[in-house]
Amino acid sequence: MNERQGFLDRHHFLLRRLHSLTGILPIGVFLIAHLTTNSSLAWGKYGLRAEGHGVPLVDGGVMYFNKEVAWINTQVPHLLLIEITLWASILFHSVLGVYYATTGRSNTARYPFQDNWRYTLQRISGYIGVAFIFYHVATLRWGWTFLVPGGTQWSHEFSASTLIAALQGSTGGWTPVGLAVSIAYFLGVSLLVFHFANGLWTAAITWGLTISQQAQRRWGVVCSAVGVGLMLAAWSALGAVFVGDYEAARAVEVRMLKDKYGEDHLNEVLEKQVPPHAAESQASVLSTD
Amino acid sequence: MSGAYAHEYNAETRRANRQRAKPGRSIILKIKRCDGPGKPSRWESFKVPVEPGSNVISCLKYIASHPVTTDGKRTTPVVWDSGCLEEVCGACTMVINGRVRQSCSCLIDEYAPDEGDTLTLEPMSKFPVIRDLWVDRERMFHALRRVKAWVPIDGTYNLGPGPKESPEHQQMRYALSECMTCGCCLEACPQYLQESDPEKWDTSFIGAAAINQVRLFNEHKTGKRLKADRLEALMGPGGITDCGNAQNCVKVCPKGIPLTESIAAVGRSTTVHAFTRFFKGR
Repeated sequence: MNERQGFLDRHHFLLRRLHSLTGILPIGVFLIAHLTTNSSLAWGKYGLRAEGHGVPLVDGGVMYFNKEVAWINTQVPHLLLIEITLWASILFHSVLGVYYATTGRSNTARYPFQDNWRYTLQRISGYIGVAFIFYHVATLRWGWTFLVPGGTQWSHEFSASTLIAALQGSTGGWTPVGLAVSIAYFLGVSLLVFHFANGLWTAAITWGLTISQQAQRRWGVVCSAVGVGLMLAAWSALGAVFVGDYEAARAVEVRMLKDKYGEDHLNEVLEKQVPPHAAESQASVLSTD
Repeated sequence: MSGAYAHEYNAETRRANRQRAKPGRSIILKIKRCDGPGKPSRWESFKVPVEPGSNVISCLKYIASHPVTTDGKRTTPVVWDSGCLEEVCGACTMVINGRVRQSCSCLIDEYAPDEGDTLTLEPMSKFPVIRDLWVDRERMFHALRRVKAWVPIDGTYNLGPGPKESPEHQQMRYALSECMTCGCCLEACPQYLQESDPEKWDTSFIGAAAINQVRLFNEHKTGKRLKADRLEALMGPGGITDCGNAQNCVKVCPKGIPLTESIAAVGRSTTVHAFTRFFKGR
């Protein structure tokens, strides 16, 4: 190797393997945790145990999901460190991934094999996945309300209701834009789950874990099972959001806040909170002041 | 493109076609032609009478002696490359009905069983065209040099008896050794693109054939003396890491070489080599 090679070339192998590794750890592991948490919107009632008796299924999901979000934000240690590692990994994996993907030319038209389709889909899902993750984080996390139809903004205290508003398009139910956002979420998350499951399969070849065709086939069954499981988790979460009702979810969340911290704290939170459905009305309040 | 060729992939269909092929028929050979490197390409069609057992080469020979297109226009004979005519040299590899394979072993009966059926011939797209169906596969041989695909003995002194090898291991290596550097795996590979600048051959994707040779020679009891060199060569830009796992290579390999297993095996070797190098130093 001559010394005039660039940084990327000199560390080619390391970067490629880090690209492979980051897709599984931490990104893949986070994806599993994230989708499992989200899916509790659908099955949360049964996770509440005794507390869930007599609670409607939808309310139970809201309760359990809200509890999990609160737990993550108050109990998980080194949350900032975890987030920085995760975001840095996603950035690294995305930038290098897009760069690597541009080095190939898909040829499924001439060679329409299943493996070849997955090769192509892995790249397409990567491109769309990057765009989806950006939209997802920018709107729900950074609160870029100009990207959000109906001016909804996600909040930790009102995790389920604000999510329902963001995906349905407004706090008052479905809007056409909300439908578009929801379809984008369905496609985005499905493609990312595929990307992870398929990436898990190819990573085993890349690192040399699965060598024989039999081993590759066996590992393929495992990866498919992981993919199907995550797909069900993602879809059940989306399903719960699609059938959810903003006001009903918010009522559950308000009750939970009051039960946990008392009336004073609840009022404090409500004051600090930009009412998700009132981004416009708040702007008008400010202008009349 | 897919679906444009009715019966190219299915081995069963091809067998059935051979059974029912009409004797004494003529077929159309549609050929992508090019007068030389950098020249534009064009399509020309030829009507060719076929006999039972005719292959693409015998049809091309007929065209060479009757270079007249279906329009009645007299043209130059079509140029192609060939050597052994028994699918062991790889020279006559071309794209037939959209899919890469050797033309010598391509029986017309299997692909064009009826009167007036069309068979489409194109040169491989991943190598520079010299003329018509003849391409320059030099980059493949460069790749073999890049990974030192040989056993390092120079014959200047007696090495004594060679190391013992089990029959099972010998069988495994034999399958890998069947590669004829034909280029099918590279033509079908979405990560392997044409690179006409030889300066860039050392850093553009090396492809399945050479990676398989690395496994073959690293498995050789004497050849493995160069194992580290070969793995290092594959760990740089354009090495094994650039494989995208589309796995087309193994499906189009005319010799049935387990190319994807070789890629995984060499992948494992590079993983081990990288860790060893990191903790132990060179």
